[in-house]
Formats: sequence, C-alpha cells, structure tokens
Amino acid sequence: MEPLRFLIVDDERTNLLVLRAYLEQGGHQVFQADNGANAVAAFELERPDVVLMDVMMPVMDGYDATRRIKTLAGNHFVPVVFLTALTDEASLARCIEAGGDDFLTKPYSRVILQSKIAALLRMRELYRVREQQRDAIQFHHQRLLQEQALAERIFSKVVHRGCLDSANIRYLISPAALFNGDLLLAARRPSGGLLVMLGDFTGHGLPAAIAALPAAEIFYEMSAKGYSISEIVGEINQKLKELLPAELFLAACLMELDVSGASLAVWNGGIPDVLIRAAHGKELRRLPSRHLPLGVANNAGLDRRAELVHLDTGDRIYVYTDGLTEAVNAAGEMFGEERLSRSLAENADDPFALLCSTLERFRDFTGQRDDITLLELTSVAGGQNAVTDTSPFIVAPHPPAHWRVTLKLKADVLQQVNPLPPVLQLVTELQALHEHRERIYIIVAEMFSNALEHGLLQLDSALKDLPQGFAEYYERRERALAMLAEGWIEIELAHEPRPGGGRLTIQVRDSGPGYAVSESAGFTANKNASGRGLALLRSLCKTVVVHPPGNHMEVVYEWP
Amino acid sequence: MSVTATVADDGKQITIHISGQFNFSVYKEFREAYQRSAQPAYTAYVIDMAGVDYMDSSALGMLLLLRERAGGERSEVVITNCNPEIRKIFKISNFDRLFKID
Repeated sequence: MEPLRFLIVDDERTNLLVLRAYLEQGGHQVFQADNGANAVAAFELERPDVVLMDVMMPVMDGYDATRRIKTLAGNHFVPVVFLTALTDEASLARCIEAGGDDFLTKPYSRVILQSKIAALLRMRELYRVREQQRDAIQFHHQRLLQEQALAERIFSKVVHRGCLDSANIRYLISPAALFNGDLLLAARRPSGGLLVMLGDFTGHGLPAAIAALPAAEIFYEMSAKGYSISEIVGEINQKLKELLPAELFLAACLMELDVSGASLAVWNGGIPDVLIRAAHGKELRRLPSRHLPLGVANNAGLDRRAELVHLDTGDRIYVYTDGLTEAVNAAGEMFGEERLSRSLAENADDPFALLCSTLERFRDFTGQRDDITLLELTSVAGGQNAVTDTSPFIVAPHPPAHWRVTLKLKADVLQQVNPLPPVLQLVTELQALHEHRERIYIIVAEMFSNALEHGLLQLDSALKDLPQGFAEYYERRERALAMLAEGWIEIELAHEPRPGGGRLTIQVRDSGPGYAVSESAGFTANKNASGRGLALLRSLCKTVVVHPPGNHMEVVYEWP
Repeated sequence: MSVTATVADDGKQITIHISGQFNFSVYKEFREAYQRSAQPAYTAYVIDMAGVDYMDSSALGMLLLLRERAGGERSEVVITNCNPEIRKIFKISNFDRLFKID
C-alpha cells in the first residue's frame, strides 16, 4: 500500500497510541483528534486520504462528525471506517447511514483493518478515474459547442442572405436543434418576381446543414441569373445526388411568383400540399407533391417541370414542412392537416398569425420532435415592388427585335447534351425575356421531349401512368437514347416585334416518321403531370400547329 | 426486437418485419437484417410494415439504402401492410415510383 494520510479519531488516548504506532509502522502519516468537533477541524486542515472514526465521543459523536466530513469532502471520495465497540446491528447500520463506508468492531484485527482499507482505496481509484473522464467529456463538449456555434454563424451567412424580409412574406422557423434541417430561401428575380425554396432534409443537425450549403449557393446564384425553377431543380438535384449518401435527400418545394403577382410556378418534390387560400378563406386550392425529393434519382429520372397556377390579388400561398402537421401536444396527439385547414379557412384578417397562435396553443410548450417551418406568400397587386430597394438586377426586356436562330442536333449530340439550358439562355439573353423564362422553358421542353421520345426514340408515354412505370419509362429512354445511331432534331426560334411587345415563333422538327397526335390521347398523356401535352401548349401559346405527318410542330408565343 | 427477418425456402426472397417506430433508432438493426447473409444477395425483398406505428424521413432514407443494395434501378422491393398514414408519406415523397407499395 502506498503511503497515505490518516486521520484517527477516538476519545481514548490508548486507542490513538495503538493505532498511530501501527499505521506509522506501515509508513503512513497520521493526524489525530479526540472528539468529533476536533475531527472536523482536523479534516478541513489536513485533508487526509482515509478517516478512522470512533462512535461514542463527547462534544460531537462519530456519526455527526462523519456527516460533516463527507459534506466537506464533496466530490472526492474519502473513505471513513468506523471503529466501534458497539456490536448491535442497529448501531452498526447507523454507521453506514451516517455516511460511513465500513465499520470494524473492537477489539479489531489489524489484518482485517488493512484489508478493508485496501478495498476502500480501490473504490477511491474508481472515483478518481470517473472524475477524470467526466472532466474530459465536459471539456470536449464545450469545445464542440463552440465549434458548432462558429459553424452556425458561417452557415447563416450563406443560407440567410436572401429576401425573406420582403413585405409579402411571413414565416415561422422553429428548429428542433442548433442546426436546422429545414431550409427556407427567398430571392428576388432579375425580372422583379420572387423565388422561394422550402427544403426538408432527412434528419437534422450537422449533416443536413453541410448539405444545405451547396444547395443554397446554387439557388441564389441561379436565381440572380434568371434561370427557371426547372433548371435550378436540375442543378441542385445533380449536386445532391453526387454529394449525399443514399440515405440522405432533400424534400423540396420551389415556387416562383411572377412580377405581376398573377401567376405562380410550383415544383413540389416530397413536401406536403402547397395551399392557396383565396382572399376570404372559403377556398383552399392544393398543389400536392408530384416528384421525387432531390438527391434521390439522377436528372434523367426526375421530372423537373413546374406547374403553373393563376392567382388573384390577395391570394395567400402556404408552404410548410411536415414538422408542422406532426407537432405533438402533451397527450401525444398530432396537430394534423385538419386543424391546419380549419385554421386557414377562418375568415381572419391575419390568417398567418392565427395559424401560428393556434399551433402554439396546441403544442403548449411540448418539446419539438422535428424542425417546423411555415411560409406565407401573399400575391401583391402591381408586382413585387413592395420592396424599397432598387435592385440592380431588375432588367426590362430589350426593345423587341428581329432575330432567328436554328439549332440542328444530330444523334451524337442528342446523346451527350441536353440542349434546353443553352437554348433558354439564348432566348432570354437575346431578348431579355427573363420573366417569361419559365413558360418558354415549359414550351420548348415539351416540344423537344416529344420530338425526341416519340419522334426519334419511338417510346410510348402510357407507361408513365403506371405506378412503377415512371422509372421503367426513363430507363427505356436512357437505353434507347444510348442506341440511337441516326436522326436529328431541329429547333428554330424566330422573334419579331408586334404592337405592344413581341412574338416568338418556336418550331421543332424531327427526322422521325411522325406520330398521330390527338387532343384526348395527346403525347405525354401522363395524368400525373396534370394536363400536359397539347392542352398545356395551347394554354400557354397563341397558336399551336402540328404539321403532317406529325414530325413538325410550330407554336407562337406572344409577350407581354 | 423491432426488426426481424425471414428468408423464403429457396433462399432468394427475404422478408423484413418492422414494428414500433421506424426511425433512426432502428438503423443498425435494419441494416443487419439484410446484410446478414454471406451468400449472394437476395433477388426479392419484402418489407412488412404491419407493426409500424410511426415512420419518419430517416426511414425513407433507410429504404433507399436497402434499395441501393438490392440493385438500385434493377431492384425488386415490395413494401406491404402499410397503414393509411404511412401510405400517405410514401405518396407525398412519390416513393411509389421507386418501390412497389402494397
């Protein structure tokens, strides 16, 4: 046994002498006291390693002294062994109750005393190790918190540089932890429109935050340059597919409110229904998720096209993550879609505030299981000029001019390149038609995909309507495209002025045999895509003509 | 055990039964259920959700991981016995395009 410091406490001098002799023989240092009060004082002064305590003493007895000494010792383990002449069980139990760790009855055996001390020292070692570990954990934990706080500041700078403070935007962001797994971004368009993205990563915390950074960068850069929602969806999807492991993905909804406030483009992949509330709340339109979340499928297997809906001034659009409807109260009930719809259906002046307070009352401070995010976007008359800053990005269309571009793409190019982004870029830059970009994208994409998929590759779109047919369809498309040996598609864009604006004529020809096009069956009769095909083109374009034998389509798009 | 697996007699199809909360807490168990086999991978996977009362997005992630292991685009993964809430989650995420939901 290593040399230790002992405090021996007994009111009988002879006992003290005997103990002292024995312990000093073993190489230990000894302090002594003759009653409980003196023992406490001596303990405070000398801070011994072990205490040997008598029970019956004047002034203060051993039980009391032990209680005080244990309190003084605090977190440090100082074994106290009672040396007592009492043999009845009750008294011995009281030793332990008073805080003693063991007892020995007099006359005691030196051997047994030594063994007991050895055992108690082993226990002390255990305490010491545990304390060290606890200190190390605390230290590292503090470090981690500091690092996270710093990381969060950088994260905020990247992610929160948008325009969520616009006058027609209200939002509720309530993360379940330091790093929010939900993403809410807003950017002003060069054309004056407003672009919003709500995302919900699988899980939350640091991994979600890390993945959010590139997604946010892409969103802000492409918004500023005037890219359409579809193009932004494609870029983010590709980036996340590359970066994220299979089990992580981003459910997302992108929306664009155009500068007039009369039209909304929506792409919803994995987010709950987007709700559109008419001015008095009577009507709630729903735009459900129609696509896979981002980061799951390759771009070839992801439909990136947005849906367009008409809006009236004062219409309010609500988009939220499932943390909202899955929020629980103390009884474990979920807030649910019903309560949400009912709240929004109320004829309130401020439906957003009403919904927030309804949610708060429901939750009643119950802990959050998931991040909660809610956004309200109001369609404002006269465009998005509700913001006072004069953004350098707002660009009016160039004066309508005459130009014509023809792009002929043979099989080898078609296999390698998606021509839509460059074509879009060309059209919008030449004529600065930024606010029409989404529509023009939809039109050209529709015409091109039909020329490619039905004209050249001879695929049957009915497959897309079946439950798992979607994946099958795109797989066939990939294979057919890879095997395409010959053929071509020609895209021609011609622009000319007209009174009050301009006229864009788009023609797409393909080298296929032509296909019969009927109003009802249509090409891309995919019900999921809500009225795609010919009907969609007719709704967006002034005129739509299919020249026989069906491999030449010509549409006219007029602006403004 | 929240996750149990049974293999068909021909050794080709594995059925994984999940019960309770299907979330990140069963990650390890779930992976082990289909990775246990040292033999060539199974040709068919069935996920039985009869006992599941709650599922979150990390469960969707785990299913994607299994699907990748099962061959990705070429995989045949069937998910059965889904209650209405779970069915709804699959519908919103459009995972019925990646899995056969019964």
